[in-house]
Amino acid sequence: MAEAEKVDDDIQDLRDRFLNSEFDEVTFEIDGERVAQYALACGETSPKFTDPGHDDFQAPPTFVSTLVGRRNMPSDFPDLGGMGMDAGKGVEWKAPVRAGETLTGRSHLHDIYTKTGRSGRMVFLVTRMELFDSSGTHVANADTRTVIREKIRA
Amino acid sequence: MPDTVSNIGEVEFGSELPSFAPDTSTDNTKRFGKYVGWDSPRFTDHEGARKEGLPGAIVPGVLSQGFLGAMIHRWAPEAEIIAIDTVFRAPVLADTPHTITGTVTDIDEDEGTVEIDITITNEAGENRVFGTATAKLPT
Repeated sequence: MAEAEKVDDDIQDLRDRFLNSEFDEVTFEIDGERVAQYALACGETSPKFTDPGHDDFQAPPTFVSTLVGRRNMPSDFPDLGGMGMDAGKGVEWKAPVRAGETLTGRSHLHDIYTKTGRSGRMVFLVTRMELFDSSGTHVANADTRTVIREKIRA
Repeated sequence: MPDTVSNIGEVEFGSELPSFAPDTSTDNTKRFGKYVGWDSPRFTDHEGARKEGLPGAIVPGVLSQGFLGAMIHRWAPEAEIIAIDTVFRAPVLADTPHTITGTVTDIDEDEGTVEIDITITNEAGENRVFGTATAKLPT
């Protein structure tokens, strides 16, 4: 967590049970046309991102946010009683992702924390997919932050 | 600061990046849906989105995040974005003008990195998406 603060007991229980345990592994074939069309839609102008024929063609770093695993939560994660909303995306870039590569994405819950507002407690779940190329090089982390606006059941 | 920078020495603390008007059109979200994903009516069709209770079609969050990255690359073509975190505060409505602004909030000349705060704002001046990025530039 970003700040050291008191953690509710039910959240600490979820953290103890679920953080940092891999629950999904999936492979992705990186298609050059998909990369180029992603870059163009985003407004990229460099041929490094938009032209699959460019010598240094690679995906914009944010492209890895489009790689979706089979599931976003562990199969035995409890129903927290509210509808999950996409609260944000994060990317840590470590090496270029290039067309033709096969990436392996391994997902785990990276963080669970709460914020309390006027409408009550919000639970944030951060799912991290670690992405590796075929040589085992760690090329990126892609985080998805889901917020659930409802009091968690103990 | 010039409209584009090529190395860390050209970056000034507190300076603003050139603003960028992202393509929020449904033509663009349809293309995104066709080639990348997120082709649900909520992203590509106003009427379909209204049937889901939305005020109109919205831009996928992953596309909004991509807008932020493109803005940085337009400003610093040689930059490597090594981290970017995006907070979706409210939907970005398709087919409505939005503006992306960015400010340099930190510079580490030894590491060759800059920190940038970036915001997508609608015509009413409401912040819809907020991001922070770390980019590495040639020294």
